[in-house]
Amino acid sequence: MASGGDNRGTAVDHFRFSIICMAAVQPLDTTIAVVTPENIAFEYQLAGPFRRLPAYLIDLAVRWGVIVAVGLAILIIGGMLSALSTFYGPLTFAFIVILIFVINWFYGTIGEAYFNGRTVGKWFCGIRVIEVDGRPVSPRSALLRNLLRIADLAPVAAINTWDPDVPPIYFIPTGIIGLVTMMMTERMQRLGDLAAGTMVVVDERKWQLPIAKVDDARVPALASYVPGDYLVTRKMARTLATYVERRHFLTPPRRREVARNLSDPLIERFEFRQDIDPDLLLYALYYKTFLADSMTEPADLGPLAGYSPLAKDADKPSGLAEPLQSEIPDELGKPAQRQPVQRRQTTQRGDVWSHSSSSAAANPPPPAPAPAAPTSDPPRTAGDGQ
Amino acid sequence: MNVAKLLEKRRVDWTELERLCEAMELRGSTDSVSPQHRGASGVARFSSLYRAACADLALADAYQLPPNTVTYLHRLVARAHNQLYRTHTPAPGGWIRILFQEAPQRIFNDGCVRVATLVFFGLFALSMVMGASEAQFPGFAERICGTKMLEGTAESFKEPLAVRPEEYTARAAFYIRHNTGIGLQCFAYGILLIPCLVTLAYNAIVLGATFGYMSRDGIEGADHFFEFVTAHGPFELTAIALSAGAGLRLGMGLFYTRGMSRVDSVRQSGRDAVPVMAASATMFVLAAFTEGFLSPSGAPYLIKVAWSIFSSGMITLYFVVLGFPRNESERGSLVRTARYADLVDSRVPADEGDRDAT
Repeated sequence: MASGGDNRGTAVDHFRFSIICMAAVQPLDTTIAVVTPENIAFEYQLAGPFRRLPAYLIDLAVRWGVIVAVGLAILIIGGMLSALSTFYGPLTFAFIVILIFVINWFYGTIGEAYFNGRTVGKWFCGIRVIEVDGRPVSPRSALLRNLLRIADLAPVAAINTWDPDVPPIYFIPTGIIGLVTMMMTERMQRLGDLAAGTMVVVDERKWQLPIAKVDDARVPALASYVPGDYLVTRKMARTLATYVERRHFLTPPRRREVARNLSDPLIERFEFRQDIDPDLLLYALYYKTFLADSMTEPADLGPLAGYSPLAKDADKPSGLAEPLQSEIPDELGKPAQRQPVQRRQTTQRGDVWSHSSSSAAANPPPPAPAPAAPTSDPPRTAGDGQ
Repeated sequence: MNVAKLLEKRRVDWTELERLCEAMELRGSTDSVSPQHRGASGVARFSSLYRAACADLALADAYQLPPNTVTYLHRLVARAHNQLYRTHTPAPGGWIRILFQEAPQRIFNDGCVRVATLVFFGLFALSMVMGASEAQFPGFAERICGTKMLEGTAESFKEPLAVRPEEYTARAAFYIRHNTGIGLQCFAYGILLIPCLVTLAYNAIVLGATFGYMSRDGIEGADHFFEFVTAHGPFELTAIALSAGAGLRLGMGLFYTRGMSRVDSVRQSGRDAVPVMAASATMFVLAAFTEGFLSPSGAPYLIKVAWSIFSSGMITLYFVVLGFPRNESERGSLVRTARYADLVDSRVPADEGDRDAT
């Protein structure tokens, strides 16, 4: 019963949310919510002038391509028939003229009415016309918005603006009116869209479900040290997910710079060492929030079992197993699997977590730091308690 | 809580829905995906998968799905929505209804059509009078149209009208393209008001001046000119005025909102203007056929006059008899649509009542 009530609550909330969204587009964003009969508000991205102009140019080319192709076909047929009678010469001309008229004025209408709001150019550019309330575009709206295109392309310029010798024939559309209207309306509608009650949205053909894969062995290990009483809030979860989605586009120094804002308080809260890579910490938190199997399952630390990111372990000369087990026994099962930590390695152990230990977080760290490592790579010890 | 496992589980369904969408987009049916998706079972499968994706989207927040997964779901649902709710192909009877039921009603009641008609025929008559009376307004017609053009017009009507029948179709096609194009352009510019009025006034004054010039004494070919324009005049002149009227209706909606929001007002007037424009375009085509087939032919003048009177009578009947306000046409009209927001608004109190009761 209780769960039923909850579901109802979410449905009603969605209703509210969608009503708000229909009334006003979210500011500073080009997405718009559409309420379906299934009582869902899903989002469309609005298509702006830079997506629509290429579509228009493609349509222009297609339009004249169709006219030339069909016109040639009519000419050939008419030429063959005119051998029979002189009647067919003017008839051919008539058909071509009517073809030009119909294609030029009604190409967009026919395309949008019969192909679910798409013309060839829109199909190429991945955009689609729909009504402002999310329904498919009706033939009447398609007709109106396409007839009014000529007003959106106004004012027309003349060639003699640039070349005074040419007589003033105004035929170069500038599209300023449509552009200005698109800028000033919240759904990026031109005048024709406003009159017809339509909008143009992005409707991509190709996309894939993005799954963030964690290929860094240090991430699950570090995640296992995050205290069990730390609750990731909804806002925090969203921030983490956004960060992990975006981090592939950032250089490692930039990642650290961005992540530091969040990680510094977290390091204090978790009582971790100060030199932990901020990027790694956020990644580990993401892993714990979204990908880790369960709280109760032990993490397989593998070769990293001997290392601890905790600040109080930084100065300990040896033996991590006891304090760790007492600290977080649930998360660290299988103590027997741990390798006995060697003395020489413990001097190195903290470096695994810091950003300088491996050039990119994507590379798995060395199974165990080689004994020769400190001498061959002195910067790795920077910031450590040596 | 574990998003990875949840996604793995749901992904199978989402991928299937994607495949179905792709097939629907390319071929309009789900038949090609697999034998199980043929016919009605494919449609049923598609809609159940769509509902499942909708449910996933609704619960995305509760599941704490990562934002890119939510974006993916938004796109998936949008894509399936576009395939499930497709554009209705226009019904063949719909246009007849628009032309013979909606259009005359709108025209009869539309103030913009009256204004456009007054402007057009007023300027036309004024300019014709000014062009005809050479004594009071010397050089008026020449200044408006240019001496060259007027003389060219007079020259071309010197001979009696007898175009070879082969050329009728070509002429009709040319007039369809040229005149209907001007009408459509006048309509489209109507949303900006001024260009529409300029086009209308320009056509009225040039036509009037030409008529006036031709009606002066001593112009060669005047008889043939008036014989030529008699047959198609009623259709063509009415069509120009109508297209401008429809255009002005659009523009007025943008500037004079009648208490609605500007966007709603423009949309409303756009809906109102389409039938008028459709009637206008039909008249342009009728005029073009008359102008191509009857006007330039060597048919007796009586036939052309008879056709002119007949067409004027038809236009009058169309406007007055079909256009006279009737109550039942309100209900039977095709344009009765409601915005989705209105429907949602009307349902919210019921939902709240339900909720309070439980």
